[in-house]
Amino acid sequence: MTTRAGVRIGFALLQLVAVSVGVFVLTTFLPGDTAEVVLGPLATVEQIDILRTQLGLDRPVWERFLDWAGGLAHGDLGTSIATGRPVVEDMGDRLSVTVLLAVLAVVVLVPLAVALGCWGGRRPGSPADRIITATTTVAQAVPDFALGLLLVALFALQLGWLPATAAGTVGLSGLTVAMLVLPVAILVSNQLSRLARQVRIGVVETDAAEHVVHLRRLGLDERTVVLRHVLPGGVVPSVQQFARTVDGLLGGVIVVEALFALPGIGSGFVQAVQTRDLPVVQGYALLFALTTVVVNLAADLVSAKLVPQAVRL
Amino acid sequence: MTALGTEAPPVVPRRARRRGRVTRTTLRVLGIVLLAIPLLAAVVGPFFAPSTAAGGIPLQGPSSDHVLGTDVLGRDLLGLLLQGGTTVVTLTAAALLLAYAVAMPIGLIVAARGRIVETITIGLLDVLLALPSLLVLMVLAATGRRSVVWLVLAVAFVQLPYVVRLVRGAAAAPACLSALETMTMTGEPWWRVRIVETGRRVLPPTIVDATTRVSGVVGLLSSANFLGVGLDPLVVDWAVVVDQNMTALFLSPSVVLLPAGLLVALCAGTNLLVDDLLERRS
Repeated sequence: MTTRAGVRIGFALLQLVAVSVGVFVLTTFLPGDTAEVVLGPLATVEQIDILRTQLGLDRPVWERFLDWAGGLAHGDLGTSIATGRPVVEDMGDRLSVTVLLAVLAVVVLVPLAVALGCWGGRRPGSPADRIITATTTVAQAVPDFALGLLLVALFALQLGWLPATAAGTVGLSGLTVAMLVLPVAILVSNQLSRLARQVRIGVVETDAAEHVVHLRRLGLDERTVVLRHVLPGGVVPSVQQFARTVDGLLGGVIVVEALFALPGIGSGFVQAVQTRDLPVVQGYALLFALTTVVVNLAADLVSAKLVPQAVRL
Repeated sequence: MTALGTEAPPVVPRRARRRGRVTRTTLRVLGIVLLAIPLLAAVVGPFFAPSTAAGGIPLQGPSSDHVLGTDVLGRDLLGLLLQGGTTVVTLTAAALLLAYAVAMPIGLIVAARGRIVETITIGLLDVLLALPSLLVLMVLAATGRRSVVWLVLAVAFVQLPYVVRLVRGAAAAPACLSALETMTMTGEPWWRVRIVETGRRVLPPTIVDATTRVSGVVGLLSSANFLGVGLDPLVVDWAVVVDQNMTALFLSPSVVLLPAGLLVALCAGTNLLVDDLLERRS
């Protein structure tokens, strides 16, 4: 167990190194000079040369990479081309909004998925089960932004219950609960299906398992059977799925923040892409990758702890 | 509560199960209808579509010239709806075909060549998994690579880890192996047994898997287009039209909601039918 965990952690570290090299290569090597890309097609040769020197692009590639990687090791991601601020500072300002969104989404998502999965899983094949599965499947299949627009049209435009955008807020100040309802709803609806389905499968299996049937025969009341014996069996296999859910939330956050003009890291990333601010793009790409790697590592370690025989690390 | 020794009642009574079947049929019909509308628009639409030249009066209401009115750029909305699906369907098909064409051989070879190759390949692919798909597209766009070719390549690329895993798993299934052992013993070369024959057996589950990925790929492509990191803004595509008309959401909602609705119907319909297909197979 300990060696396996060690190997798994080593692999995660390897992933991080590979991803940072990948991000650097993707933003450096492939055709198209960074300075040209940043300044656009209208720039003169002299302007491009000046920016190239400024960005250190005239130095050899390996030197730039060592510089960049060295900075990374110290938590320095360089400075934004657009604003001149350190990338880390910019991220810090925006991180609170995204973390708030993600935490709210998880707080709503997990109990809802467990409840729906359990409800459907105890009545497999019934209308309730089919409708739950179909609704969550459809909600997941629909692109975030399209669903978001339909919800905005209904709740902001038609009914006027909720604001359509959080534009104008900076950091956490100015954000109201009403502004967060639709973004969180979209994030949850997109991830609900997979998690609820996993719980459902676990519950269907455990519900028919011999020990549960036996407990029923012994005359234990249904609530105890479900809460103490069926649910735990259904939830454990879902830990892996939860990791993928968090992964999906990260992708969803990019779209949702852009759609509602929430000042988080997702919209920061979109902005950086649009202004071609490469140091910021590199920084955000690394942050997203880091989160994914850490979440997957945690899920693997937790499920190895819960069901040692089922997980090959 | 049941007494000791008596059988537990069946989990779902017969009547509920019958009602379950009715619900299932209803959902299937709903899926067919939802899928048919955007698919017809995408496949047949372009032949009947009015011109979408820009420069008309923006955001007009419905009239005899423009049946559904015009968008912010003064283009005919009906024309946009009928023409904008072609890119969605072709790019999705192209990306999926490419992904499976590359992943099938990799998966088969990995399954055939034993543990070491397997560990290395899957390990490498897992490294790819560390990046959320949309992020790969955005990094490409940030560095000025945003042609149709790059878009298809990138979308196919991010599918690879999942598809290779699936093919490898299917190829290693015991039923598959025992059937092929005889061939190996009669002296057939390994590639005939492990690539050609196994490949034929792996094809059906792989095609089913491909259908489950359709809505994901549509979602990824259209999200990229909506964020302005996908197709060129001049291309007529539902998601690009949504992005361009976002500012008009309050002035004339239909300009945004109709193309978004077609995308929603496409994804929802596909998934309802795929779910039905999966249940029938199991």
